[in-house]
Amino acid sequence: MGEDLSPNPSPRPLHCGEGIRGNVLFYSSTPPLDLFMANQAATQLPAAQQREQPRMTMSQRASIMGYLMVAPVVISLLILVIYPFFFAIWISFTDRMVGSQGNFVGLANYRYLINWIDFRATVRNTIVLVVSVQSLKLVLGMGIALLLNQQIRGRQLWRSLILIPWAMPAFVAFITWKLLYAPQGGAFNYILLNLGLVDTHVDFLSTKTWAMPSVIVASFWRGFPFWVISFLAALQNVPQELYEAAAIDGASAWQRFRHVTMPSIRHVVLVVLLLSTIWTTNSFEAIWLLTQGGPSSATMTFPVLAYFGLQNLRIGEAASVSVSMLPVFAMLAFIVAKLLQEE
Amino acid sequence: MLQKLTLPQKLIFYTLLVLLAIVILFPIYYMISISLKLPKDIYRTPSLLPRNATLQNYVDLFGKMHFLINIRNSIIVAGSATIISVFISCMAAYSLVRLKYRFRDWIGRLILFTYLTPGALLFISLAVIINRLNLGNTLQGLIFVYLTFSAPLSTWLLMGYFRSIPADLEEQAMVDGATRWQALFRIVLPLATPGLIAVSVFTFTGAWNELLLALIFITSPDKQTVPVAVSYLITGDVFRWGLIMAGSVAAAIPVIVLYYLGQRFVVQGLAAGAVKG
Repeated sequence: MGEDLSPNPSPRPLHCGEGIRGNVLFYSSTPPLDLFMANQAATQLPAAQQREQPRMTMSQRASIMGYLMVAPVVISLLILVIYPFFFAIWISFTDRMVGSQGNFVGLANYRYLINWIDFRATVRNTIVLVVSVQSLKLVLGMGIALLLNQQIRGRQLWRSLILIPWAMPAFVAFITWKLLYAPQGGAFNYILLNLGLVDTHVDFLSTKTWAMPSVIVASFWRGFPFWVISFLAALQNVPQELYEAAAIDGASAWQRFRHVTMPSIRHVVLVVLLLSTIWTTNSFEAIWLLTQGGPSSATMTFPVLAYFGLQNLRIGEAASVSVSMLPVFAMLAFIVAKLLQEE
Repeated sequence: MLQKLTLPQKLIFYTLLVLLAIVILFPIYYMISISLKLPKDIYRTPSLLPRNATLQNYVDLFGKMHFLINIRNSIIVAGSATIISVFISCMAAYSLVRLKYRFRDWIGRLILFTYLTPGALLFISLAVIINRLNLGNTLQGLIFVYLTFSAPLSTWLLMGYFRSIPADLEEQAMVDGATRWQALFRIVLPLATPGLIAVSVFTFTGAWNELLLALIFITSPDKQTVPVAVSYLITGDVFRWGLIMAGSVAAAIPVIVLYYLGQRFVVQGLAAGAVKG
């Protein structure tokens, strides 16, 4: 290692010299994971220094070093993510129970799921929950981000304030909301009764009508800061000149938003929407702590149903519940990964 | 958009901001105020104000409830998970950004996809695997399992930070005789301190807050972490809200303090899509 021994010292050795197999791979594709808006995060380096550096030739030593250094993470992830991922798919085709390996049963678990009332409710609830919570977060999150992007006093303070629901542990947030909703001792009932808006206690989390809206509101409260902060960061990267130019051309506020703001932050909005959708679909705490899926499966979602399956020791069935959301997850993950690798 | 606001605009904006503040702060206020009340004050004379405030719930929590053991467990788990995960992620990220070898792109993709894979998809097979490794009901098992979310996230974030540090610096040092390790530890890591702080905060708080996996893997009370202990308080028949809220406040304080201390770095990481919300 040391000096650049490559015959072609150009900064982009696309087809140069040795190690061709590797090299073509490296340089022909975009570097992975480049999303990182973190480029902005890191430092104050002049752009010139950030462009591709002329590399040392790929020496074997460096590549062995590379494998050794990446190995602990790769091995952990093989054991903890990749293997369990395929293992879960396999288990979902067996009648495994606790204490018994079980046999391959083909699609029996899935056939059972299709006709299982609780599972149907789960699919329906998940769609209702995710669509409502995400729409709320998108619209209100954007509104709040635009509001905080104005010339207001104490902007820094407001931003710190916004962070609170997200900075506190999810389980604390949802336990607190369970208290707020409680018929005895809960704040909402106290307020409603004292204002005379209701005659008796409303049991928000145990009535079919109210359980889902209550869960939606609590999930929104917990999740919206992520959206606001991400949108704010994106809004700050929109060049001021564009707004000035638009203003000179006589564009209204809506037109400026529609034709200047939106196109500039579309990428971030899409990434946030998809990432958050993956997480919201798979969030366990919200439902578990607020309703445990009740009343009678009115708020049951995939992770909670799978968790009950595990508690009942019916592992094969539980696995098929989780795995049945795989197609949707795979689609979302694929799109996010594409988006993250762009830019 | 950063023009001076007119008076009516100002009125509308500040009204909205005050509403927003109430929505955010009211649940927190209520949580704290209930944590200062005894059951008779919560049920018999309900009020939004903390009348007859007392620290009795906190005394009970720390005195009678093994809560100190739960806190100790959480500190062990979150602390170890952070140290291990940040260390191996630093190496991996450095390797993926600076060194060249076959399959590097594939490993990069693997990390991205493992980051996107939700725990809800994995916990059932993880339960089987952890038991098979004889790590069920141990804190070590929990620390290991927490790498599922912390390692991909940390590696991925750190790659962004490392990439923005010019390779010249290390190459210069290595020409002067430093090894890769020295280059990593003496040059790259100090320059990536903001990234290290963000990643450490995310890992620590992620492990501190984690409920589902801890609920599944930990079966004996003396090994329960804080979220498990608090969540068992609300699945009982009688809710002792004062005590539950005292536990929640105690669990939230370290995390909120950490976030606000590292806020600048954390927000950058958050903007990069780091934490679930």
